[in-house]
Amino acid sequence: MDNQPLTIHSWPRAILHLDADAFFASCEQAVHPELIGKPVITGKERGIVAAASYEAKAKGVKRGMRLFEVKQVCPDAVILPSDYETYSLFSLRMFEILRRFSPDVEEYSIDEAFVDLTGLRRSYHGPYGMIAKKMQDTVETELGLTVSVGLSISKVLAKIGSKHNKPHGLTIIPGRDIHMYLKDLLLEKVWGIGSNTIAFLNKFGITTALEFARKEEGFIKKYLSKPYQEVWHELNGRSFYPVTTESKSSYQSISKAKTFTPPSNDKSFIFAQLSKNLENACIKARRYKLGATRLIIFLRTQEFRNTGIEMKLNRPSAYPANLFGPLRDGFDRVYQANSFYRQTGIVLSGLDSETKVQYTLFDDPARIEKMAKIYNAVDELSEKFGKYAVHHASSLPTKIQSQHEGERGNVPVRVNDLFKGENKRQRLGLPLLHIKV
Amino acid sequence: MNERTLYTETMKIELKEDKLRSRIRAISSFYYQKGRMPSFSEIAKLVGFRSKNAVYNLINKLEKQKVLQRDAKGRLIAGSIAAPVKMLGTVEAGFPSPAEEELADNLSLDDLLIHNREATFLLKVSGDSMSHAGILPGDMVLVDKGEVPKSGDIVIAEVDGEWTMKYLRKKGENVMLLPANPKYQPIKPKRELKIAGVVTAVVRKYK
Repeated sequence: MDNQPLTIHSWPRAILHLDADAFFASCEQAVHPELIGKPVITGKERGIVAAASYEAKAKGVKRGMRLFEVKQVCPDAVILPSDYETYSLFSLRMFEILRRFSPDVEEYSIDEAFVDLTGLRRSYHGPYGMIAKKMQDTVETELGLTVSVGLSISKVLAKIGSKHNKPHGLTIIPGRDIHMYLKDLLLEKVWGIGSNTIAFLNKFGITTALEFARKEEGFIKKYLSKPYQEVWHELNGRSFYPVTTESKSSYQSISKAKTFTPPSNDKSFIFAQLSKNLENACIKARRYKLGATRLIIFLRTQEFRNTGIEMKLNRPSAYPANLFGPLRDGFDRVYQANSFYRQTGIVLSGLDSETKVQYTLFDDPARIEKMAKIYNAVDELSEKFGKYAVHHASSLPTKIQSQHEGERGNVPVRVNDLFKGENKRQRLGLPLLHIKV
Repeated sequence: MNERTLYTETMKIELKEDKLRSRIRAISSFYYQKGRMPSFSEIAKLVGFRSKNAVYNLINKLEKQKVLQRDAKGRLIAGSIAAPVKMLGTVEAGFPSPAEEELADNLSLDDLLIHNREATFLLKVSGDSMSHAGILPGDMVLVDKGEVPKSGDIVIAEVDGEWTMKYLRKKGENVMLLPANPKYQPIKPKRELKIAGVVTAVVRKYK
């Protein structure tokens, strides 16, 4: 019974999942070739491990580990500050390379993509596996890092494939082989199954993905909610989730939060941090032509206790000048003089299209138009001279005092290694190889 | 279509293109001289139209070709008129030769220097081993990881654990790395040779 295939269709669809291996650490090794083969950690400015190279993982370093622990298990680890500028460049490039092979590329996360290859066997005059290998080789050669690929007939199975053999793995799961890969796979490892449901299924003696997949439809429909029914179909080789190519066209909420070190109880510095988060959130909202009707601010103490307040606005706005009033009010209510804070955050929600605005009786249309002009000018200047070229005075303290003092205050190498014509805010959109020739 | 009609048809198309080009040139001269886009009536005067409708048709055509664009309020702003460097003929330094101004298909510096965007990286040069090839310390070179290295290419290579930028010279099974500076010796890989990419361009900014 266990050896019976789950489905007789080998390739009703072909969905590929590509997952970069130890992405941030691999990007660093790609631009710092002297680090290849060494244990590399990123996340220095956070004090915890954001990513660890496979060499570091082999020594027992895990994501989320505190840096002092890392120094105990892996004393020769190279610990670097995060260089999101470079990681973003690599990520965008990875997706562009995949788009050469198929237009249906879904940017699932910064280092993961789903690609729909269905129907491309004819164009490539070869099997899907050959196309997958070509994609993997191209990405690895042109970027200088390794990726693991899973190819199957549904998204859930493709993801199981990519995880099956890491790093630099290529796992192909046609319909008739699905049962072989699910046989020893614990439910914990299946994308989309949460811990509560796992505990529930365990009570029925279901512990592996294959046992779950083989359950009758009646059982699934009776005991599990719709999302789990979908996962069950996917595990059985019936593709339910399509590869969605749309980029984010809108947001439900926009949040900006930043940690600073050391923790502070300087009221104007903390307000400045909050003000900067607000400005950045508004910049993003304006980019998508949205305005917020709800403003949430929160402060986190050094003991990791959060306090926050939510405020409703009478009209959607993405202009900090309009929002500083509520921001001040909210801040004064939440801030406590004897507490030391480590993080501030802003959430803009209740986002609505800013063009749909209906002026109320109490609005001053002339002033609103003036605001629009001012912020249009600010955005245009940012485009020309770099983000944050013009900003509100309330955020000035964040420029005077560095975000992370002391050891943690390490900026990525790229920020200081500039070419003539580049500056601290504007740089060429190509990664810089740190090789001395 | 007989040969004569084909000839006249081709001539007509070429004349049309020339006319369009001269009109674009007129508008772009105005833009550069006055620092703003001309109004519709000004455009009419520049291109010799009498009706605003004719101007409207011309503008639509130019918008489609991205020569002009419209801002958020619908007013005309420069499109590709503002951005590209017009392709001139080759100018030899020291010899004042007549440079022909040709409004060729607009190629930006990015397009010129970068062929495979996803595989192109920057590198700052610190040594002078390739100075006779025109690559000086402090220069920026563009490195293409997607190019297959061929004999005669300048490559970034790791030889026996050391990184270097040299000419690649392949003669059958023999591989050598040659400098462009008499101060340096050719390198013959003893253990291993890893090529990280091919140098496709060098960029040096003076101002």
